[in-house]
Amino acid sequence: MRRAITQRSLLWLASLVALVGAYTVVASLAQRPDVLPTTPEILQTFAALVVRGQPAPMDGMGDMHHMHHHHPGRSSDQVDTLVQQGVTLQDALGVSTLRVLFGLVVGLPLGMAIGVLLGWSRRTDDYLHPIYVLVRSVPPLALITYIMLWLGHSEAHRLIPIVYAVATTAVIPTYHSVRDVSARYLVAARSLGARGSLLVTKVLLPAASPAVLGGLRYAVAIAWMTAVGAEMLMAENGMGNLLVGGGMWSSRTQTRSDPAVIIAGVITLAAAGWAMDAGTRLLRARLTRWVR
Amino acid sequence: MVAVRVRRAVVALVALVLLYGIAAQALHGRLPDRIWMGSHYVDNIQLLPTWGSLAEEGVFLAESDILASSVLVSTRRVLAGLLLGSLVGIAIGLATGRARRFDAIADPWVTFFRFTPALALLPLYVVWFGYGELSKILLIASSVAVITLLGAHHGVRAVPRVYLDAAASLGASPRLAFRRVVLPYALPHIFASIRVATGLAWVTIVVAELIDAKMPSLGYLLALSGAYPRVPTMLIALATVGALVLAFDLIVLFVHARATRWMRRTS
Repeated sequence: MRRAITQRSLLWLASLVALVGAYTVVASLAQRPDVLPTTPEILQTFAALVVRGQPAPMDGMGDMHHMHHHHPGRSSDQVDTLVQQGVTLQDALGVSTLRVLFGLVVGLPLGMAIGVLLGWSRRTDDYLHPIYVLVRSVPPLALITYIMLWLGHSEAHRLIPIVYAVATTAVIPTYHSVRDVSARYLVAARSLGARGSLLVTKVLLPAASPAVLGGLRYAVAIAWMTAVGAEMLMAENGMGNLLVGGGMWSSRTQTRSDPAVIIAGVITLAAAGWAMDAGTRLLRARLTRWVR
Repeated sequence: MVAVRVRRAVVALVALVLLYGIAAQALHGRLPDRIWMGSHYVDNIQLLPTWGSLAEEGVFLAESDILASSVLVSTRRVLAGLLLGSLVGIAIGLATGRARRFDAIADPWVTFFRFTPALALLPLYVVWFGYGELSKILLIASSVAVITLLGAHHGVRAVPRVYLDAAASLGASPRLAFRRVVLPYALPHIFASIRVATGLAWVTIVVAELIDAKMPSLGYLLALSGAYPRVPTMLIALATVGALVLAFDLIVLFVHARATRWMRRTS
């Protein structure tokens, strides 16, 4: 058994090393930093994005040149734009993480409430489920401009799509588990005299929590996807904005983007997503310790 | 029982239509029609267009063939991405589910793509494959592949050991066991993942089409109606995307039901 595990991790590591190695070789042979940046270049880009540059005075090429002199790491159109704006990788990641967390904190209870409402009574389900299906079918990112018309240029049109995406995904697992629970435990609890809020807090929510927390993993992934998409389209900060090189994509299609920045950003996002997923699994294991 | 449910659904949807109509009529002329767009004001905006103006706009979009051609182009892209992505995803997922060694080799890469929001790859694909069709289809394919891969993988892993032992003791070759035991068992998992992936494919295409803003496509219709802005067009485009997502979901459900007819259903 132990040998099998050792062999597995060896293969895992070998695969990682092999592909990174293969990429390094191909990229350095190709000599096309505008398409395939070499591994050292990607590492330098990381360094350039993590160290905060001096916010450059926006006058004249002389000053910009001066600034590059001080700044460590790589330089390209996109890196320069970001450094000039004082963007760092950790700041962008922090902003996006906050948006994702906001979406989860507001969207999950909302989605669970709707799920309980639909799962609780057959009658409400019959009336409201068709409407829920319609609402769920609209991709949250398509709503951005409409929200913007109502609420203006603000944080709202970045946060509402995330909340919307999280809420609509959280409904399903809650709905199904509440329905299952209704059939099994609710009758017993009712016959013992439990009713109202006691039923919800002591029977319904605990019994539904494993499924809901299982759905949480998917909700986290959706929240990240929506946050990055919203930031690419309409935001002045965050990881999505960093990927498209500072500024909304719609207004910057002509700018030459630097693949090294994008790769650095994608790696960061993957690491952040993985970390949050690990946190979710830990939370799930702790909260549902009583499940056999 | 079914009749009651259908009646209630119809009542709810009619109520929704009526409520929207009443709200739009009541607020007609009362909502601000002059909106600050970040750099300039735009006049004559109907934030909540009445059914009348929606119908007028709908007729225009239908008669000018804008809507139909947009639907066609976007649907073709989604279908191509779905097909490519799910073929690759399911093939790899079945392999990682069956072969432990291959699983160990593929795992770091599956983990990496799994936690990367697919939309983040869009700028990279644009650098690699240009603004054209290929980036969009590959982007959809990547997001679909990851999800179907996980679905197929977990489906194969969920096959009870007893079934495989039984098949082997009856003399089934690994190939036969795979075809007659593993694959049917994994099918519901695979279909569930395709349903999720279909929804995601539409989210992806809407954003991907905003990049290379070319008519006709639904993403561009949305972007353009947002840039003017022209709310009736925007709402019709939103509703069209929603209807397509719903239609695709129903098709996948239908195919799933057909493909697993032999299973006993509890509900």
